[in-house]
Amino acid sequence: MNDVVQLFLRSAIVLTGTAVVTFALLWHAPGDPALSIAVARFDSAVSDEVVARIRAEAGLDAGFWAGFAHWVVPLLSGDFGKSSVTGRQVWPELLDAVRLTVPLALLGLAVGLALSVPLAIVAARRPGGWIDRGAVALASFGAAMPAYWLALLLILVFAVKLNWLPAFGAGSASSLVLPALTLGLGTGASLTRILRSSLLEARGAAFLPALARRGVGSRERAVAHVAPHAMIPVLTIVGLELAFLMEGAVMVEVIFGRPGVGSFLVDAISARDFPKVQGVVMLTAVLFVTVNLVIDLLYRLVDPRIGERHG
Amino acid sequence: MADFRAVLVLVAVLAGLALFGPLIAPNDPTAIDIPNRLAQPGEVYPLGSDAMGRGILSRLLHGARWSLGLAFLVSTIGLAIGVAVGLLAAMGGRFADWAMMRTTDIFLAFPDLVAAVVIAGVLGAGTSSLIFALTVTGWMRYARVARGVGLSLKTRGHVVQASLAGLSRPAIARWHYLPALVPSLTVVWTGMLARAILGISALGFLGFGVQPPTPEWGTMLLDARVHIRSDPLQMIWPGIAVVACVLSINLAGDALRDGLAKRGAG
Repeated sequence: MNDVVQLFLRSAIVLTGTAVVTFALLWHAPGDPALSIAVARFDSAVSDEVVARIRAEAGLDAGFWAGFAHWVVPLLSGDFGKSSVTGRQVWPELLDAVRLTVPLALLGLAVGLALSVPLAIVAARRPGGWIDRGAVALASFGAAMPAYWLALLLILVFAVKLNWLPAFGAGSASSLVLPALTLGLGTGASLTRILRSSLLEARGAAFLPALARRGVGSRERAVAHVAPHAMIPVLTIVGLELAFLMEGAVMVEVIFGRPGVGSFLVDAISARDFPKVQGVVMLTAVLFVTVNLVIDLLYRLVDPRIGERHG
Repeated sequence: MADFRAVLVLVAVLAGLALFGPLIAPNDPTAIDIPNRLAQPGEVYPLGSDAMGRGILSRLLHGARWSLGLAFLVSTIGLAIGVAVGLLAAMGGRFADWAMMRTTDIFLAFPDLVAAVVIAGVLGAGTSSLIFALTVTGWMRYARVARGVGLSLKTRGHVVQASLAGLSRPAIARWHYLPALVPSLTVVWTGMLARAILGISALGFLGFGVQPPTPEWGTMLLDARVHIRSDPLQMIWPGIAVVACVLSINLAGDALRDGLAKRGAG
């Protein structure tokens, strides 16, 4: 139990640390943030008075920790603040962006699973066979392929040459195909690699021949013994894939001109709209810390030895 | 072993291109030649020219120095930071270990490419922001591996004896910990090198990395993207360059890891 309390404590520390590091980065960013807010709102001719007022309003005049508190205290109750450029609340716009990115990420994950699960199972059946070699080669190739180049190649083939699908925008269902395919192919490559090796490892476990000699059938061995054994790496993959999908979404949304969290972030950075940048960073950090916490708790359910070892 | 040699040759070719590529480049990579813009491959421009009439092959060769050189720099600085943090955690007391590992957790709480985009973008586009962004987001894996190996050494006979014999901590770190770290950290280093190449070109493609007119593969892809309909070959070459480098470095890393695993087992 003590161990579980420690896990929660660790998550809280990580989130606090992320908030401090993020705020420190923006605090030390070049340029006067109050001046850039003023310029964004009122164009270039602003008086020093206006800049001073904005500085006080944004909590930028009282030093690092006061400024940090000015941002973090409202954040704790879910108030992400207002855009420094438009003056509108950050949270509703960020929520809209999340609603657009989630279907893309889920579809990408589905494509990745549909490609990698059958491929990994067939490949692991005969390690070193030609299917296995092909799967490993494909996975290595996929890991070396930058998402933005894959996206450009897909646009070139399916939008420019064949003219089957739109290359740009987010209006129709067909505009989701190429972005989801870009994400799915990348995810599929890394999933194939990890699934294959975890299946091979589970198959090679020492208890399997013993079970076979005791007369346990091959189907039961696979379902009741190999599958749970392969669960631990799968849990690890979930965390990794989430990071992969988030990174992929940033590139894919920018290339295909889709609204979503990725383009929200890149636009906010380009406009130096720091409250928006902080919003995306903290939302992502909360998501990752929560997922990792859940994974850590599940590890303890699947494999009791993990809790004992650390506790 | 034959595989390993083939991969080694590949990596040597890449390193050679980064070092000597600019010497064999046929054109000046930044010389603008508007009359010959978007030229087809020919005698003057072996791979054609871009929208400003700059030779693509020459830009690729000069770009190799930027992409590979910066990746080398970034992954090596990351290695130094990671080893320092990992060894402090392993050799220090319980508090040092706790503090170092929680710091590592904080930096791992975020997808590293997204963090690099935020850092490079906020600090302002440019090469120094790029180096800072990729280093800050790229040292954690080294730290974890260094700590792991370090902890396993702590109770080993020769290390305990060295400290009983009065050898100072830095000396123990230098003579007993560092040599033991070399194999596993080399494998991590190749992975991070490949990751840095992808990161540099991704930031360049987003406009947050190396700035024009410097030839860099990601920014070349960004420029080529506009001409995807009229001149698709332009976006093929820099992409091939990135994939070829990352793939051969990854294969070298795999071969290295397998070789070390065999040596450890046998």
